[in-house]
Amino acid sequence: MTTATDTVSVTRDEVRSASKWLFVAGVVMLCIWVLLPIYFLMINALSSPEEVTSFPKRMFPSFDLASVTFFFKFQGVLRALWNSVQVASLTMILAIGLGAPAGYALSRFDFRGKEAFRFLVIMTRAFPLPLLALPLAIMFIRTGLDDTILGLALVHATLALPFAVLITFSLFSGIPVELEEAAWTLGCTRIQAFYKVILPLALPGIAASAVFAFVISWNEVFAAAVLTIQNRTLTAFLLQSLDVSPLPLKFAGGAMLVLPALIFIFAVRKYLFAMWGIANR
Amino acid sequence: MSGNRNRSLGAALAAVTTIYSAGVLAEPLFWSTQANPIEETQAMREQVLSGFEGGVDYQSSELGPWLTRLQAEAGAGSGTIAVLGGLHGHFSGLEDNLADLGDIDSSAVKSALLELGTLGTAEQKYIPWMQATYIMAANKKALEFLPDGAELNALTYDQFVDWMKAMAEATGGPKFGFPAGPKGLKHRFFQGYLIPSYTGSMVTKFRSEEAAAAWEKFRELWQFTSPASPNYSFMQEQLVSEEVWVAWDHTARLADAFNERPDDFVAFAPPAGPAGRAFMPVVAGVAVPTTAPDMDASKALVAYMLKPETQIATLRATNFFPVVDVALPDDMPASVRLSGEAIAAATAASDAMPALLPVGLGDLGGQFNQVYIDTFERIILAGQDIPAVLDQQGDALAAIVEQAAAPCWAPDEPSDGPCPVD
Repeated sequence: MTTATDTVSVTRDEVRSASKWLFVAGVVMLCIWVLLPIYFLMINALSSPEEVTSFPKRMFPSFDLASVTFFFKFQGVLRALWNSVQVASLTMILAIGLGAPAGYALSRFDFRGKEAFRFLVIMTRAFPLPLLALPLAIMFIRTGLDDTILGLALVHATLALPFAVLITFSLFSGIPVELEEAAWTLGCTRIQAFYKVILPLALPGIAASAVFAFVISWNEVFAAAVLTIQNRTLTAFLLQSLDVSPLPLKFAGGAMLVLPALIFIFAVRKYLFAMWGIANR
Repeated sequence: MSGNRNRSLGAALAAVTTIYSAGVLAEPLFWSTQANPIEETQAMREQVLSGFEGGVDYQSSELGPWLTRLQAEAGAGSGTIAVLGGLHGHFSGLEDNLADLGDIDSSAVKSALLELGTLGTAEQKYIPWMQATYIMAANKKALEFLPDGAELNALTYDQFVDWMKAMAEATGGPKFGFPAGPKGLKHRFFQGYLIPSYTGSMVTKFRSEEAAAAWEKFRELWQFTSPASPNYSFMQEQLVSEEVWVAWDHTARLADAFNERPDDFVAFAPPAGPAGRAFMPVVAGVAVPTTAPDMDASKALVAYMLKPETQIATLRATNFFPVVDVALPDDMPASVRLSGEAIAAATAASDAMPALLPVGLGDLGGQFNQVYIDTFERIILAGQDIPAVLDQQGDALAAIVEQAAAPCWAPDEPSDGPCPVD
């Protein structure tokens, strides 16, 4: 009997330390999963073309800037980068500006056609862009929206909107309506209650869906390639020629596409961490 | 508060309008599917088009966006594209959207090429711009394994397979690379090289016994082909990294290897089969859409592309050869010299057999290619029975050719009505 209990307690300790190890191993694995490709991307972007094609691969960059400088000299890259930032920011503003109120309405009010509305919002993602691009481009050319930052941002906002609506919908649903009611009883108007009570609670989540909208716009190629000519975004400018370019340039271009997105996510990480329950500092 | 907001909104709109109107004034837009790799795009802008008065906005894009944009401008009835650049196959099906270029002096271009540019209509829909073909490339280390008595520029497929076999056995792994990746040009190998070399035909004898023998030979070759080939698209990469020692590909897709290490590589003519040494010339053209904003400027740009010095600059930039007779200067890149010699060896061979790009298929060209790709995937990758696959794919091929009502093109004998698949 005693031996049996001993065994059990030892096993329990073992299980505890094993699960700790498993946890640590899992964290390490996930970090490697994310960081290793980025690390290799950076090494190769910062190595000379000969080193990129040679074998064995280097583990440390030689800080040869030939490939990277090629990109910065490549006509129009900086302008495309700036266009990308503008389109993505405008997309973010449009998607949140339209999506958050829709999400709030869906979570707080009952109205006729609510289900149909939710369904329709998702339906906008059911049509592939190559199919939509042609009629859109014709319409844009006729209305003068063609080849403008605003026009492209409108298309990207349409793509990002379903996610913005659904994320903010679940966000607002998670905030008890009683909080709002309490604010009303204490003299707040409906709008004041929203600004003073609900919005601070929802902000991290809204930031997350804004990041999402930004990334969707940043990564979109097809509409950008068709709808912009002079004002190309970075992805339209680079991505479609990148996969047919020599290896060293692929790495340098890849790094150029990844870096701004990484910087952006770093900038808003505070809000993301807050949403995941890590202290908001 | 609201005044402020209105003002900033107004400022934003004004900014958008400024950006927009800044774009309208720009140089003529050259909308192209060619010179897509960024180094080539850069060279097109800096070396080829910089000499055109007023400058050119050269934009290269993938076929999908290229076509969609063109169709959108045609649909809207107004456009920004001044000149289109693309392969012969990209223009077929677009006849109605292309202006007649008959009044541009194109007498310097070989008449057989010009003929392709009519796309089967009475008008000159596009003007040939540059041409290329596919050749073989080998690392010099591979040459010591050449079978006795075999001559590099006069190989047969039998000798070629023996060579690859000897090399694979001596080095412990397959050393032949084939661009069977998603962006690889594998279908051109079957259409223009393997099948015509055995059958003397691209379409009519698709399911003949000779074609089956060709596929049998390729299956044999596949044993000595790098198993990573279904990921390869531009063989210059694997040649430079020495993942493979021997490869078949488009001249423009081998050029980097020749230019980076000209002393380590040789180029040679494709092998011959029982029916001849088939090879496929590739033609790219320039066209003007009917919606071009300034027709005269567009035509001036097309004429500029045909000037001898532009043609030489284009060769340097893209590794596509001139379509007009020009005297090449001595300082051309190594890739031009090496591939030029291999092309000369292929075209001058006594058993040379040009297999033309599909003619008259219109927008069914993609489906036509798919038949050859499917056949390859079923026979080689999935290991299915050759006659059964050829029979089924032959039906698909016949249906496409009939739907397009395309008569036979070289090397098939001319036909009345759609090209038959026996």
